[in-house]
Amino acid sequence: MVEQRIRSQSESCRVSAALLLETQGLTRHFGGLAAVNRVDLRVAEGEIVGLIGPNGAGKTTCFNLLSGFIRPTAGTIRFDGEDITRLRPHQVVKRGLVRTFQLTTLFHELTGLENVLLGLHLHSRRSLGRALFSRRRFPPDEVARSREVLEFTGLASHADQLARNLPHGHQRVLSIAMALAARPRLLLLDEPVTGMNLDESGRVMALVKTIRDRGVTVLLVEHNMKAVMGTCERIVVLNFGQTLAEGSPAEVSTNAKVIEAYLGAGLAHARG
Amino acid sequence: MRRLRIGVLIVLVLLMLLVPQLGGDYYVHVFALVFTNVILAASLRPSLTCGQLNIGHSAFMSVGAYASALLAKNLAVPFEVSMLCGALLAAVVGLVIGYPSLRLRGVYFAMVTVAFVEVIRLIAQLWVPLTRGMSGLSGIPKPNLLGVTLVTKASQYYLALFLMLLTLLILWKLESSRLGLIWKSIGMADNLAQSLGVNIANHKLLAFMLGCFFAGVAGAFYAHFIRFLFPPEFGFLMATNILVYNYVGGRGHFAGPIVGAAFLSLLSEPFRGSAYETIFFSIAMLLTILFLPGGLITLPGKLAELRWWNSASAHSPSPAA
Repeated sequence: MVEQRIRSQSESCRVSAALLLETQGLTRHFGGLAAVNRVDLRVAEGEIVGLIGPNGAGKTTCFNLLSGFIRPTAGTIRFDGEDITRLRPHQVVKRGLVRTFQLTTLFHELTGLENVLLGLHLHSRRSLGRALFSRRRFPPDEVARSREVLEFTGLASHADQLARNLPHGHQRVLSIAMALAARPRLLLLDEPVTGMNLDESGRVMALVKTIRDRGVTVLLVEHNMKAVMGTCERIVVLNFGQTLAEGSPAEVSTNAKVIEAYLGAGLAHARG
Repeated sequence: MRRLRIGVLIVLVLLMLLVPQLGGDYYVHVFALVFTNVILAASLRPSLTCGQLNIGHSAFMSVGAYASALLAKNLAVPFEVSMLCGALLAAVVGLVIGYPSLRLRGVYFAMVTVAFVEVIRLIAQLWVPLTRGMSGLSGIPKPNLLGVTLVTKASQYYLALFLMLLTLLILWKLESSRLGLIWKSIGMADNLAQSLGVNIANHKLLAFMLGCFFAGVAGAFYAHFIRFLFPPEFGFLMATNILVYNYVGGRGHFAGPIVGAAFLSLLSEPFRGSAYETIFFSIAMLLTILFLPGGLITLPGKLAELRWWNSASAHSPSPAA
């Protein structure tokens, strides 16, 4: 046991904390296609891990599996030692594993504050009696907590605006704020800086680091390589549903197989 | 703005209180039926807000109506108890139908509800020893409330008004609470709601059962008011009408189904019972979809916009002129 820990420490200086998420042989078939194929993913407490790969590599399917939206064909998912493979999405969230989405990120017809209030869902005391007899719409402590989260993410001034009227960058941040309100232990971010300019994506990645420093582990999927390389401590590369490489940003970006997967596909496409 | 709205509400309620004094029995009768329609339309809203297209609401009204009528007629149960039993039975039937079928989405759920309307109609039609089938159930006692029988039409009208206001108050409180926010979130993006820990199956079921309960209340009142129940009345046509009230009134606000139900049932009054009623409803639905996709409740806003636009263009001559 002690030996193991020492060895793992020597492999990567950061992995000293407990394992938070661990998948073994995670596999999902869609018809004949193995979208995710025997993936062994390990995320330790306090890490920021990037999950990258060319389009169709199985990153989003991986997220859908981890968050309980689809069931794996084979393999297991353990979160903090507990087997969560067969849990439904709302049960997964209850354990502290919260995700964001690539496309449906927000409730567009609700205000920023209402969006975050929904994020507090699990931590709200609610009952039919309270709904019927309380004079206030929402308990003051929940509103205060939501405003705190908005403040933390820099959206305090947009609390009462409809989500659909916010600029794209703010919308993405709001979706992170909602996930934070659910008090995650592990946050899964699906392309948090897609469509952002350099300035915006820099701010979001700084936010991700602050979130981690406050004790939330982060696993993120992202195509913006600058953002991924600058933020993640460890990177897992998927290709055709399988783990292609794993390591520090420097290791991964110089890995011959990774370069081939990205550029090789590009060359083939250019010739075709 | 808030004060203005409360003022308008108070005036409306006062006017409704005065209907029996100002109008005759005819108006009392018409308005009592309008109130039942408002209860039906408003009680469909929670389910619609969750994104569930329910085209079977009249079946639950039928369950409430028959249950309450039979309890009062055969067992002399007072109205407050028979109505509650009818509404609870409607909610329980809603649970039995909703639990398996609310997992279906969109059109599949709608198909289940359509089939259910026919099932309930056929049960009412074929269970002759209990419901008298196609002869219709007659001789239903007048509402007997707290030991007092409401003999006059006017007193029954006040009962309908009270039931409607109470129903609307409860539904409004629920919709403006966190529960209503959850319903909206499920309707907008159910996967996102799930990812925040919302058990969407349970919340859809709760919204559905709540609607069934109040449809049962409307049915119970209807049974003791009309005092005659005929199975085909609660058919597919009535179910679509309840849905049309919601769409014509507007889906975006709590007032939508209320405005829709009041507007359409008052306007269709001259055609009641004739074939023109259906034509009238389809035309109203078509016109709304074409010109007011947000429903009648968006009309004041549209008019204000139009007036602003007209005055703006009148004051500033176009550069081409």
